[in-house]
Amino acid sequence: MSKRVLCKFFAHGACLKGENCEFSHDWKAPPNNICTFYQKGICAYGSRCRYQHVKPSQSQSSASSSSTSAQQSLVSDPAYPPHPSCTSSSGVALVPVALTELSASSRPFILPKQPAWKQECDQHEFLDDDDVGEPTSLKPADRPICSFAAAGDCPRGDKCPHIHGDLCPTCGKRCLHPFRPEEKEEHLRMCEKKQKHLEVLKHSQEIECSVCLERVLSKPTPAERKFGLLSECDHPFCISCIRNWRNSSTTSGLDVNNALRACPICRKLSYFVVPSVLWYTTKEEKQEIVDSYKAKLKSIDCKHFDFGNGNCPFGTSCFYKHTVRPGSYIWKNHRPPPRKPTPRRSDAVDMDPFINRDDINDMAGLLEDDMDCNFPDDDLDFDEDINPLNNLSPFEMAFMLSQMGFDESDSSSDDEFILLLRGSATISVLVSSVLGFILFFSLPCFNITYKPTSSLSIEHGCPVSLQHAYRDGRLEEVVLRHLGNEDGQTVIAKHISCARIDFCAVSALLKYAG
Amino acid sequence: MIDFARVQKELQECSKDVEGSGIRVAPKSDATLARLVGTIPGPIGTPYEGGTFQIDITLPDGYPFEPPKMQFSTKVWHPNISSQSGAICLDILKDQWSPALTLKTALLSVQALLSAPQPDDPQDAVVAQQYIKQHQTFVSTAQYWTETFAKASSRGIEEKVQKLVEMGFPEAQARSSLESVGGDENLALEKLCSG
Repeated sequence: MSKRVLCKFFAHGACLKGENCEFSHDWKAPPNNICTFYQKGICAYGSRCRYQHVKPSQSQSSASSSSTSAQQSLVSDPAYPPHPSCTSSSGVALVPVALTELSASSRPFILPKQPAWKQECDQHEFLDDDDVGEPTSLKPADRPICSFAAAGDCPRGDKCPHIHGDLCPTCGKRCLHPFRPEEKEEHLRMCEKKQKHLEVLKHSQEIECSVCLERVLSKPTPAERKFGLLSECDHPFCISCIRNWRNSSTTSGLDVNNALRACPICRKLSYFVVPSVLWYTTKEEKQEIVDSYKAKLKSIDCKHFDFGNGNCPFGTSCFYKHTVRPGSYIWKNHRPPPRKPTPRRSDAVDMDPFINRDDINDMAGLLEDDMDCNFPDDDLDFDEDINPLNNLSPFEMAFMLSQMGFDESDSSSDDEFILLLRGSATISVLVSSVLGFILFFSLPCFNITYKPTSSLSIEHGCPVSLQHAYRDGRLEEVVLRHLGNEDGQTVIAKHISCARIDFCAVSALLKYAG
Repeated sequence: MIDFARVQKELQECSKDVEGSGIRVAPKSDATLARLVGTIPGPIGTPYEGGTFQIDITLPDGYPFEPPKMQFSTKVWHPNISSQSGAICLDILKDQWSPALTLKTALLSVQALLSAPQPDDPQDAVVAQQYIKQHQTFVSTAQYWTETFAKASSRGIEEKVQKLVEMGFPEAQARSSLESVGGDENLALEKLCSG
């Protein structure tokens, strides 16, 4: 097979096959460069097309004669000055589309009269005068830049009829169009970005995981070739190592909160790990990675929340999306569904046994279990600061309170029920928080009568208009406001709409009470 | 599952710096890397100076996410090391372990423990009491133990060779048989007599 078509790789200076390449490595051979799309009138690249835009009329006129004469006319007929690109060194393959359609199917191939090498010389003479002639009619901005020069090296050098682009300072190629400032800027911007990315990648290649002592990006499987960024410090680990460490069981006697959540190197506590394929060099880059990760998660629905049917242990600080679907549990009840069947206390009056440290610890244990086995297979490794009550959302708090003794009321008729908190029922809730403050709050006696349409009366004599106080999951507000009051006796409650109470307000109240 | 690739790397890393740190780690047998022997020199300026202490290392399945189990096989007189079993009381080998620590750094910490005993958190109460109340006695006991147990393999060998030579064995043969049995005088004698 003769080498007719110019090797594209060679043209870009990167053909690995060398001598053995089946395509032509001859610069002087006129390239088979006709844009067939242009001839059909639909070239999307327009002036930026890297193939020659030759009008079909040229070839059609020659196609009217026999294919042999067509070959000749291309070479010699001055009326149709042959564009170098619509001729071929061997004369076989390089027939424009229109011609091929007309003649090639019905006629056998006819070899050119002249040997290829002689023809080549003839054609080459046309090359220079013709090429220069055509583009000058165009505006400079419409003229394409030389693609050879843009790729690195133009064999025609100064004699090249095309514009040689300006040198791009980043990639070092002559690919900036001198007359198209927008394109130029775009290229510069892209090039810089690409370069930066490459540099970061190169830098990341060198980074070793401090646990497995291997280069993170040289790990065998693609899933392992990821860094696990700790939120609070800058020590590099691969995602599998850091996750392994944070998930490692407590059987070895390691402390979950202090040892496992800490950076293995600096022991700084981090609450979540962000996977990333690149390692950062600056704080801003890290922030960018973390932000984009969070943004990505925010678009994914939380499977614990389950569109309002589930109970997410992370509450409002969950990274995933919490969408309440109409008709779901939360939609109907305005509070999350019970997480696990907790031991139910039927005695509404005697609340003391429930509120003791062990139970609180059980709650903590429950929460912790949920946290730890949470999201086993996805990217989130979000370790909330675990504390039984500190982290309870208003809903959860309400739920807990409801579990303390309002079971009957829950199951009683919808029309009317009475919440009884008898005088002796003093709630002493021990809240131990990370800060170490201990909060005692006790509920003195009061009886709450609930009527869905009317008012809520409190025995101490201040009937308060309060709707759905309990069923909204609002009981905690009643309690907390009660605590916030100076005399500690009167419950102040306003009309509460169905909107959620702000968690900040609750925690502020908690602090105030503490 | 133990990350053996990491253990291999650690061993290589450690062998590169034997001159600098004096700390060696070698597998106990060729069969597995889960059981190793670490060697640390006694820190200079302490009663342990000049001694070479051997530590048995057993890697748990969870290594490096679980701490390696380390125990002195050389007898040591130290408040934080059991004089009976060689058990080491060191936080980083227990709840303060971190996967970023290596065998070498752990051994370095053990070495540091030798030079900075913490009698308030003792492993061996008797030694700790002595350390607090009769410090001079403690120092001399520790020195004696170092002399007896931690130096036997290096300096004692000459004396043993001398002894065997006095018994009538040729020196070269006595030396080689002593080396082959690991410095035990009686075993060497047996070997010489039988072969």
